[in-house]
Amino acid sequence: MAKTYDYLFKLLLIGDSGVGKTSILFRFSEDAFNISFISTIGIDFKIRTIDLDGKKVKLQIWDTAGQERFRTITTAYYRGSMGIMLVYDVTNEKSFENIKNWIRNIEENASADVEKMILGNKCDLEAKRQVSKERGEQLAVEYQIKFIETSAKDSLNVESAFYTLARDIKAKMEKKQEASNPAGARTGGHQLRNEPQRKPTSWLSRCSLL
Amino acid sequence: MTNATIQEIEGIDDYWGPAFRSIYEGEGHEAFVQQLDERIKQHDKEIEKLCNFHYQGFIDSIRELLQVRSHAEELHAEISNVDANVKDTTDSLCAKAEELIRARRVELNIAATIEKMELCLPLLTTYSKLKSQVEAKRYYPALKTLEQLEHVLLPRVGPYKWCAQISTDIPRLRQAIQDASMADLRDFLENIRKLSPQVGAMALKQTQDMLGRSLASIVKNKKEGISARESTGPQCPHELVDFSPLHRCLHIHSVLGAKNDFIQYYRAQRKQQARLVLIPASVNLHDSIQGVKNYLNAVLGFFILEEHLLSAGAGLVSKDWLLDMWGMSVTKVASTLRTNTSLITDPTLMLSIKHQIVLFINTLKCYGLPTDPLPMLLQEMAEHYTEVLMQRWVVVFRDILDNASFVPIEVENQDQYDEVMDTFPYDGEELETQPFPRKFPFSSSVPAVYVQVKEFIYAWLKYSAGLGLCGARRAAAARQSASLLLSRSFTGCLSALFRRPLPLMQLVQIIVDTQYLEGATLCLYEFISNITGSELVTTQTAGSMFQAARDDAEQQICDKLEKKVDEFLDLENYDWLLVEPTGQASSFVTDMLSYLSGVLTSLEQLPERARVAAVRAATNRIATRLRNLLLDPAVKQISSGALDQLNLDVIQCEQFAAGEPVPGLKEGELLEHFASLRQLLDLITGWDWSSYLHDIGIDGGKYSLVTPRDAAMLLEKLKEAEQKSSVFSVLKKNERDRRKLLDTVLKQLKQLQNQDGS
Ligand SMILES: Nc1nc2c(ncn2[C@@H]2O[C@H](COP(=O)(O)OP(=O)(O)OP(=O)(O)O)[C@@H](O)[C@H]2O)c(=O)[nH]1
Ligand SMILES: [Mg+2]
Repeated sequence: MAKTYDYLFKLLLIGDSGVGKTSILFRFSEDAFNISFISTIGIDFKIRTIDLDGKKVKLQIWDTAGQERFRTITTAYYRGSMGIMLVYDVTNEKSFENIKNWIRNIEENASADVEKMILGNKCDLEAKRQVSKERGEQLAVEYQIKFIETSAKDSLNVESAFYTLARDIKAKMEKKQEASNPAGARTGGHQLRNEPQRKPTSWLSRCSLL
Repeated sequence: MTNATIQEIEGIDDYWGPAFRSIYEGEGHEAFVQQLDERIKQHDKEIEKLCNFHYQGFIDSIRELLQVRSHAEELHAEISNVDANVKDTTDSLCAKAEELIRARRVELNIAATIEKMELCLPLLTTYSKLKSQVEAKRYYPALKTLEQLEHVLLPRVGPYKWCAQISTDIPRLRQAIQDASMADLRDFLENIRKLSPQVGAMALKQTQDMLGRSLASIVKNKKEGISARESTGPQCPHELVDFSPLHRCLHIHSVLGAKNDFIQYYRAQRKQQARLVLIPASVNLHDSIQGVKNYLNAVLGFFILEEHLLSAGAGLVSKDWLLDMWGMSVTKVASTLRTNTSLITDPTLMLSIKHQIVLFINTLKCYGLPTDPLPMLLQEMAEHYTEVLMQRWVVVFRDILDNASFVPIEVENQDQYDEVMDTFPYDGEELETQPFPRKFPFSSSVPAVYVQVKEFIYAWLKYSAGLGLCGARRAAAARQSASLLLSRSFTGCLSALFRRPLPLMQLVQIIVDTQYLEGATLCLYEFISNITGSELVTTQTAGSMFQAARDDAEQQICDKLEKKVDEFLDLENYDWLLVEPTGQASSFVTDMLSYLSGVLTSLEQLPERARVAAVRAATNRIATRLRNLLLDPAVKQISSGALDQLNLDVIQCEQFAAGEPVPGLKEGELLEHFASLRQLLDLITGWDWSSYLHDIGIDGGKYSLVTPRDAAMLLEKLKEAEQKSSVFSVLKKNERDRRKLLDTVLKQLKQLQNQDGS
C-alpha cells in the first residue's frame, strides 16, 4: 500500500493563555478564524499534510493549554516534539516576557535538538501593540531562534511559520541521516523508522492524564 | 128768407153743409149773394171804424217799443259787462276749488295708504327678521317666522304684488333653510369626525384613571384636582362635541316634516363615516403604538358619540342600529388588529398594543358595548407575543452560546462567589468550605441562560397582566412557555451550536451545563409561583428537557473521538515486510492510547452513560480500523514480523480496553470489540488451523468470529510475503511442511467459502 506521507513531524505550540495558539493552528489546519476565545483545556492536536521539496510531510501539531493549571499535562508532550512554536501576543507585554520562561521549560523538558521558533501573534492589532517587532527580533537573536510576526486573524505568516519550522526539521533530519547513512539510499516511508529512538517507551505513554 | 141763412152760417162754425144745401137747392141765390155782399160791406165798415179807433194807440205803442229797444240795448251792454266781471272773479275761484278738491282727494288717499301700510308693516318686519334669522343661521326660529309670515301675516295684508313675491319666495326660503341646515349638519359631521379621536382618547384616559385608582391617588387627585376642577373643561368625553347643530337640524327637519328622512340621512352618513374610521389612517399599524392608539381612539370616539345620542334619545340613533353597526365594526377592528399585530416583531410594541386593547375593552364595557371578539384577539396575540419573545430570546441565547467559553466558572473571591450564587440556584454546601479560587461545575452560560429565562418569564407575564386571569392560570401558562422556551428555543440554539465543530471539552461542559439547567427548572417554577402569587404546582419533572441536545452532544463527542482515532490511525506506517519486530508498540498506537486515556479522564464530569458511549465508540473504532488494516486488499503481503508488530499494537489496545478507562462498563465489554481481531490474530500466529477447521460452524467456538474468507485472505498475504522473502533461499524441512499445510488450509478455506457462497 502506498504510504500517505514521507515524513511525520510532531510539532508543539506553547505560550501564555490567550496569545492565539489555537487560533494559529485553526488558521493553519482549517484556514479559518474565530473571534471568540475558547481557552484550550489540556491538549489537542491537528494534522495537516504539506509538501516540502516534493516530499509529503505530515505535521501532527499539538496545541497546548496556556493556562498554568494544565502545565504538568502539557509539559509531558515536550519530549516527543521535533519542533516547538513559542507564541506570544504582541499586544500583551507579559506574554512576551514569559517567552523566557517557556524557553526554560523547553530546555528542561524537551529533547536538546528540538527545533524552535518564536511567533509574535496578533500583529494585525497595530494600535494595541505593546511589543515592538525589534524587541521580538532581539530576543530571537539572543536565543538563536527564528522569529516571525503572525496574525491568525489576517492569515499573515502562519503558513510560512509552519513551513519554515518543518523545513528546518527536515533539513536537520536529513543531515543526521546523511551522517549515519552516507549512502543515502532511502525509499519513501522508511525515514521515520530510521529515526533513532531516544527512549525505550513512547514519549506519550508517560502521561497518564491530560 | 136769405137773412136767416147768413145768420145760420155765422151761428154755426163748422156744420155748414145743410146751410149750403138749402142755398144751393132753394132759389134765393142772388138774394143771398147780395146779402153776403152787404154783409161784407158792413164788416168792412166795421173794420175801418175799428182801425180808426185803435190807430193812435198803435203809433204810441210803436214809439214806445222803439224806446224799449234802446233801453234793452243799454241793459244788454251793462249786463255783458257785469257778466265779464263775474266771469273774471269766478275763474280763480274755480281753480282754487279744483285744487282744493284735489288736495282733499290726496289727503284721503294718504290716509288710506297709511292705513294699508300699517297693515303691511308687521309683515315686512317679520320678513326682515326672517332674513336676519336665516343670516344668523338661526334656522329653527327662522322657520317659525316663516310659518307666521305665511299663515298669519300674508293673508291679512292683501293681494299686493310684493306680497305675491314674498309668497313665492317662501318655498324657496324654506328650501334654503333646509339646505343651510344640511350644510350645518355636514359641518357637524366633519367636526365630530375630527373630534371623535379626542373623545376616544379622553374616554380611554378616564378608564385608565379609573383602573389605576387607588386610595392614595384619589386623595392626591382630590388635592390637586380642586383647583383644576374649577377651570373645568368637559367632564365627559361626549361633552367635547357640541351636538346643538345636530339637534337643530333635527328640529328643523321635524318642522319641515322631514324628520324620518333626516334620520335616515344621518345614519347613512354615519355609516359611511364608520367605514372610514375603520380603515386605519396609517397604513402600517405595526410600526408604532401611535398608529394603534389613533385608530382605537377614533373608533371608540365614534361609538361613544353614537352611544351618547342613543341615550340622549332624540331618536336619531336606535339601539338596534347602534349594536348592528358596532357588531360590524368590532369584527373589522379585531381583524385589522389581528392582521397588523401578526407582523410585529417587537415585544414592547406588542405589550403597548395589548395594553391599549385591554383599555379599549374596559372602556367599551363602561359604555355598554359588547367586546367580542376582542378577548379572543388578545388570546391570539398572546400566542404571537410568546412567539415573538421566543424569537427574541433565541437571539439572546445564541448570543450567550456564541460567546460562551464553556469552561467551569472559577471564582477568585467571596464577592464573585456570591454573585454566582445570587444568580443561579446551586447547592454550594461543598464548595462553601473550599479555599479560593473555587470552581463551579457549570460554565458561566448556565447562570446567564437562567437569568435570561427569568427575564423571559418577566417579559412573558407582562402580557398576561391586566387580562384578568387568575394567578394559577397565569402561572401554568408561564410555566408552559418557559419550558417551551427551554425545550424548543434553547435546545434549538444548542443544536445550532453543535453544527460547528466544538472542542471536546466544551461539548462535555455543555452536557454538564444542560443538567444544571434542567435541575434549575424547579426553581424557575417556584419563581413563577412567587411572582404570580399562586401555589407551586409540582408538575412532571422537566428531567429530559435537553435530552435531545445532550444526545447530540454525546454523539458529537463520539464522532470527535472516532475522528481523533482515525487521525492517529492515518499516521500508521507499518512495514508489512518487517523481518524483526522492534519489540515496542508503534508510536501512533501509544500516542493514541495515552491521548485517549487523557481525554477520557477529563470526561469525568460527563454522565456515565455518555462516557461509556464515548469509550465504546473509540475502542470500537480502533478495533475496526486495525482489523481493516490487516485485511486491506491493498496490502498484498504481510510478513510474520509485521504481524507480530501489529499483534503487539493490538495487545496495547487490549490492555487499554481491559484497564477499564472509565467506570460503569461491564466487565471486559470493551475487549469484545477486539474479539474478532484477536481471534484472527491468534489463529494465524498460533497456526491453530486444526481447531479452527474443526470448530467451524459451531457457536461459541474459539475462532467463531473468524470467517473462512478473512482467514483465507490473511493467509494469502502471509503466503505472498513468505514467498517473496524466500525466493532465493532453500526451504528447510519444517518450512516446507508449513508451506504445504498452508496451501492445504488455504484450499479448505476456499472450499468453505464456496460452500457458504460468500
Ligand atoms: N486580532 C487578533 N486576534 C487574535 C489573533 N489570534 C488569536 N486572536 C484572538 O485571541 C483570543 C485567544 O485566542 P486563542 O487561540 O484561543 O488563544 P490560546 O493561545 O489558544 O489560549 P489558550 O488555549 O488559553 O492557551 C481569541 O479571542 C482569538 O480570536 C490574531 O492574530 N489577531
Ligand atoms: Mg488554545
